[in-house]
Amino acid sequence: MKRRMIRTGTVLRLLVFAALLAFLLAPDRFAGLLTPLTNNGAPAIYNQGTLLDLTLSHLVTVGLSTVAAAIVAIGLAIFVTRPAGAEFLALSRAIVNIGQTFPPVAVLALSVPIMGFGEGPTRVALFLYGLLPIFENTLVGLSTLPPAVVETASAMGMTGRQRLLKVELPLAMPLIVEGIRLSTVIGLATATIGSTVAAKGLGEVIVAGLLSNNLAFIVQGGVITGVLAVLISDGFEALAHRMAKRRGASSEARQSDPDGQRSGA
Amino acid sequence: MIELSHLTKVYGDTAVVNDVNMEIEAGTITVIVGTSGSGKSTLLRMVNRLVEPTEGRVFLEGNDVSTMPPHELRRSIGYAIQNHGLFPHWTVARNIATVPMLLGWDRRKVEARVEELMELFQLDHAQFANRYPHELSGGQQQRVGVARAMAAKPALLLMDEPFGALDPIIRSKAQSDLKAIQRRTGTTILLVTHDMAEAVHLGDRIAVMDAGLLKQYAPAADILARPADAFVDDLIGSADRPFRYLTLGKVRAAVEPGDAEGAPLAADASLYEGLGELLWSGRDAAPVIDTAGAPLGRISLESIAERAARPK
Repeated sequence: MKRRMIRTGTVLRLLVFAALLAFLLAPDRFAGLLTPLTNNGAPAIYNQGTLLDLTLSHLVTVGLSTVAAAIVAIGLAIFVTRPAGAEFLALSRAIVNIGQTFPPVAVLALSVPIMGFGEGPTRVALFLYGLLPIFENTLVGLSTLPPAVVETASAMGMTGRQRLLKVELPLAMPLIVEGIRLSTVIGLATATIGSTVAAKGLGEVIVAGLLSNNLAFIVQGGVITGVLAVLISDGFEALAHRMAKRRGASSEARQSDPDGQRSGA
Repeated sequence: MIELSHLTKVYGDTAVVNDVNMEIEAGTITVIVGTSGSGKSTLLRMVNRLVEPTEGRVFLEGNDVSTMPPHELRRSIGYAIQNHGLFPHWTVARNIATVPMLLGWDRRKVEARVEELMELFQLDHAQFANRYPHELSGGQQQRVGVARAMAAKPALLLMDEPFGALDPIIRSKAQSDLKAIQRRTGTTILLVTHDMAEAVHLGDRIAVMDAGLLKQYAPAADILARPADAFVDDLIGSADRPFRYLTLGKVRAAVEPGDAEGAPLAADASLYEGLGELLWSGRDAAPVIDTAGAPLGRISLESIAERAARPK
């Protein structure tokens, strides 16, 4: 029963992905579907650049900022969970929190005079916005490890570095991946505002739709962004689930374990 | 082989370990027994420097451990704890291989050692090597934990309540197995427990700790016969004392000439087991045979009772 549901989910995801790909590669074939949303004979498909290019550029912007945010946030979380960095925990939290609470639009407004128009300001805004989820999740992951396991790692003669790389990070990984997932999803949606400062991305389609009162543009920009976010989020979730399952952290893995193997002493 | 000299650990205003002096002979099992908060775990953890002493020194084969880099020191000392602390993301084989891999043994040597240990601890290699810890029973996890601690053939093994999480039946088997393995390998074991029965069962010598102080350090029989103070006496339990005492003796030692009716007793069984058998079968005496099955004589309730009395 359960297995069948998982299979249905996978099939659904593949279908959605195929539909997205088909739409991006040959959007004109779908024009008929969107025409009812236009008025006064306006075009149904965005025509100031190909949707595929815009999507790829959107993904690159989000990808680069999230990778940068992950490196900084994970590095910072590792640092403040070591004895030498413990006193910087409060400070790091404050900095990361500011990054999250400062509205991305304000970051754009402030960084355009310095960096000029284009992708730069958007990347900075997404980077700052993406720090918090990754930092907090890494922090929780590293500070809630089973004490017996961490202590044994030292007692076996691992150096601090070996303990971090061989035991702590691998065990915290499902939570870290979850943090990266959150940042990526938030980034995919937030990146659309970058178009207000001329960053290439799917926001361009939505903004064009708003300016020309073309509902078809707004829908296609929004739907592509949304579908990307759902698919990528699913991918990260599956990854985190697989990692957690292998070490027996998920209840599902326990249940599927045949009884006979567990009772023998 | 181990010498603890004026070992003291102070947290805040409390000395959790207070000026402890002990010498532990190589190749023996020494059990530190005490109530929770007696400082017994802290004492153990100062040996491999998981806790740094406030005062005093630990000498291992004459070397002051505070002069060795902690990670190198720890690779040379086995360590097993109550909740086994197995790495949940590593297979059984990888867990057991932890210290040999840290020491940079070559792969074939590591594999051979893992197989050897799994056999020693009665874990079928084909069946368990690639399992993850959560797929094992509590008893199996515990054995993997001890196998891992012994992987690099350390001369010294530290164990902190290693059987605490096991149910009574598995625990008593695990204790006997540990004792047998220790006799075979000659590893020096320093074990911490709150269970006096476990201490008497396993310990060549027993150290009793209370509130950071070493109250008594003596062979098990001496502790039972001549407790140093009221605390040690309490820990033994006055009602249990004669029976604990009987667990130390073998049937062989109480054999007298003559014959008796009924099922024979093995000469290597403990007097405690012998007493149980006699009481339960309602006999005054039973024949005794050696491991080959040859009759040695008989054992009587009277001769057992003599050995349960306080030594004069």
